[in-house]
Amino acid sequence: MSKGILSDTTKCTGCLKCVSACKETNKLEDDVPRIWQKNDGLSADNWTSVIQKPDNHYVRKQCRHCLEPACVSVCPVGALQKTLSGAVIYDSKKCMGCRYCMMACPFGIPRYEWDKTVPYMQKCILCYDKIKKGGQPACTNACPNGATIFGDRNELLKIAHKRIKDNPAKYINKVWGEHEAGGTSVLYISDIDLGFLSYKTNIGNKPLPEKTAPAMESVPFTFVGMGGVMLGLNWIIKRRMDLSKEKNKKIRKIDE
Amino acid sequence: MNRVRNTKLVLWLITGLAAAVVLNRLIFGLGITTNLDDATPWGIWIGFKLGLVALAAGGFVVTAIYYIIKREEFHPLVKPAVLIGFLGYISFVSSLIFDLGLPWNIWHMIIYWNPRSPLFEVGWCVMIYTTVLLLEFSPVPLEKYSRYAKARNFLMKYRFILVLLGIMLSTLHQSSLGTLFMIMPFRLYPLWYSHILPVQFFISAIAMGITMVAFAELTVSWLYRRRPQSNLIEKLLSLASWVLVLYFIVKMADIIYSGSFGIIFNGKWESNLFIFEVLTSIIIPAILFLIPQLRKKKLVQWLGPLILVNGIALNRINVAGLAMSDSTGNSYTPMWTEVVLSLGIVSTAALVFLFIIENFHVWDGLLTKTEKNFTNSYPHLYTLNGWKGIPDNLNIRFHSLAFILSFAAGMFLMSGNHLHSGGVDNIKVRRATGIDTLIINGNRDDQFVIFPHQAHIERLGKDKCNLCHHFKLPDYKLNNCSDCHTSMYKPVDFFNHDWHTSVKGGNLKCNECHKAGETRSIQSAKSCDACHQNYKFALGEKATSKYFIPSYTDAMHRMCLTCHEKEQRKPQVKVLNNKRDLLNCSTCHSIQFPNNRKENLNKELNVNVQHFNNVILPK
Repeated sequence: MSKGILSDTTKCTGCLKCVSACKETNKLEDDVPRIWQKNDGLSADNWTSVIQKPDNHYVRKQCRHCLEPACVSVCPVGALQKTLSGAVIYDSKKCMGCRYCMMACPFGIPRYEWDKTVPYMQKCILCYDKIKKGGQPACTNACPNGATIFGDRNELLKIAHKRIKDNPAKYINKVWGEHEAGGTSVLYISDIDLGFLSYKTNIGNKPLPEKTAPAMESVPFTFVGMGGVMLGLNWIIKRRMDLSKEKNKKIRKIDE
Repeated sequence: MNRVRNTKLVLWLITGLAAAVVLNRLIFGLGITTNLDDATPWGIWIGFKLGLVALAAGGFVVTAIYYIIKREEFHPLVKPAVLIGFLGYISFVSSLIFDLGLPWNIWHMIIYWNPRSPLFEVGWCVMIYTTVLLLEFSPVPLEKYSRYAKARNFLMKYRFILVLLGIMLSTLHQSSLGTLFMIMPFRLYPLWYSHILPVQFFISAIAMGITMVAFAELTVSWLYRRRPQSNLIEKLLSLASWVLVLYFIVKMADIIYSGSFGIIFNGKWESNLFIFEVLTSIIIPAILFLIPQLRKKKLVQWLGPLILVNGIALNRINVAGLAMSDSTGNSYTPMWTEVVLSLGIVSTAALVFLFIIENFHVWDGLLTKTEKNFTNSYPHLYTLNGWKGIPDNLNIRFHSLAFILSFAAGMFLMSGNHLHSGGVDNIKVRRATGIDTLIINGNRDDQFVIFPHQAHIERLGKDKCNLCHHFKLPDYKLNNCSDCHTSMYKPVDFFNHDWHTSVKGGNLKCNECHKAGETRSIQSAKSCDACHQNYKFALGEKATSKYFIPSYTDAMHRMCLTCHEKEQRKPQVKVLNNKRDLLNCSTCHSIQFPNNRKENLNKELNVNVQHFNNVILPK
């Protein structure tokens, strides 16, 4: 049962109640703009933000909880996990601070506690403790307009398509997150283009871990293959050297 | 001429600077000691580390040439190559300590596995390969001690296996370092992104490793005034040139195949960087090394490797972050600390390198310090033991002094203000504009708070100014919040010491505020209200000995919210709850100027509030 969130930007009024609910639930500190922050409002103390776009458009930004997350596949110590419930969760006890997850995320979600002497990565975990017990995340619970709703991913997809079908003039005919990067648990429908949510507007529909998979799968073969090639090479060269030695001996014998 | 001494002096100076950076990095965290940020979490350090690993590739290439392909003439370079490899890996691992956020968790890779991660594979390979290199090299120091003869013989016996294992492991992680970046096609500029990045990394590492061994042979010969083995250097350079040709073919074929050949010459910054990189990492060195007449020349043997090493290091730095600013929209320039720390790691490694070759038999024809006939056979090498006849221990003092001085310089260069800022920019607060309705510019683009000043005066009463304005100064009506709360997000010290000692400010003498006989600090000073009886703080706080005033944002929030909370509780406001919720941030913070800024500025001056969307002003 993969859960997810559907955000409808046409319903969002930018009240930021999701942001403050998130802060309260996850006990995040007050947000102060630091030199290392990006201007999308996310930070180590802000796991979700509302981006203001011209003409009263508000777009909520948060972790997309990809179906095949790049961050999970690259973490060398497995500190990030994709759970059955859909949430991508983080185990700070395992983390060693390599920041590869931040590099690999196509949406630029993971943030770092750059000011701390003992820094951790920070990102939305879909209120894993709550959804595990059958509840819903703090943000969707706090939304007064139903602009961001929680539910089963498949059902959310149905709702999204239904809304677009019922009101084709209002929406752009696309559910963001349905296929992008192999699909994400957090979906969007909108009347403006949401390409700005990822680094490149078109990141493709293939899951990102597939990009490294062939190289990683060939690792054992490379290892054994290289050893084989080297041994073979060594054998041939040795043999040739032995042969030439014998030849020399023979020549010497003939000479004698 | 004291080549060794002066070279070591430079190395110690850089190491001292880097040590200061390391100390600050470990205390204050990554954010303020580097220019890394949320969009560029990997910077020049990673690129530099990838360069170090490529540089250390000489270890496996030369052993392969000697043990596998059985080219006996390379024997004199086997030990140096293994030493370079070993030190390269040691410095790679130790530089991780400053780059990782939680370096004490580095061993977690051993117990928590994620075989899908290229970094996991690199980590394991590096761990094992560093051990292999240690075992490969340890016969050299063990040679000195006869009681370890058994262990040495054992290692020598199984050398071939170690070498073979080393080659296999190197192949894996040299290429896997390229795999690291295959998951981020959205970050990397298309000229660098490739499906065969691992292959490219592997080939270029071989070229860099070979050249580095040749360069080390040349440098060590220059330092200790021995004749370099020119025939071997030439052979290595010629080999490197063919590897470079292969690298060029692979790289170009890949770019043409992926269809991004056209963007090489599009004049963009990244494209020009690519051209520069290809010139320095492939074309120039390849031409220099390919032509036999050229590679015989001393100048070419010196310059060529330098160009190549820098070129390939640049390639690693480009892949690791420099070539990403186009897609992330985030410009990253390394801070001086990052550059110094990178150089410091190499300098430290070089110092260890020099120590080892001076004390153990690594280089053929280079006697070690402990050998009896050392000074007699090589009088010109006396520089090794002393300087101008000064004994060795003075030399050590000289270098220690250099280290300490440059460490102090490094500490001095780290700006205290910056270190203690916690990464908060010092944004100066400007005076709010408007008369009856203040437009409070929060200094974030197009984010304004409209404060109906006149309406507040009318509601609160005309003599209640001190509810908000703290000071009853003669012209208190003109007092602006930003006069004292000068910084947007940082708490500041509002006591102006210079003003109080100036003629205009009362020309106060020390003893008038500080108690006689005590240290003149904030603690020993009078509090403000001892002199200024009329100073009132809005929230009922008295002027105490604490001179810190909250940042502008904190002050405004505290000031507005306390009153808003009070007002919200009144019954008549609750009726209007749907219309304006006084406790909702967006009641004040949702004003957005339309895109055309110029037009807005005029409107800002006219204070025509009607055009602001989404704001409900009190009647």
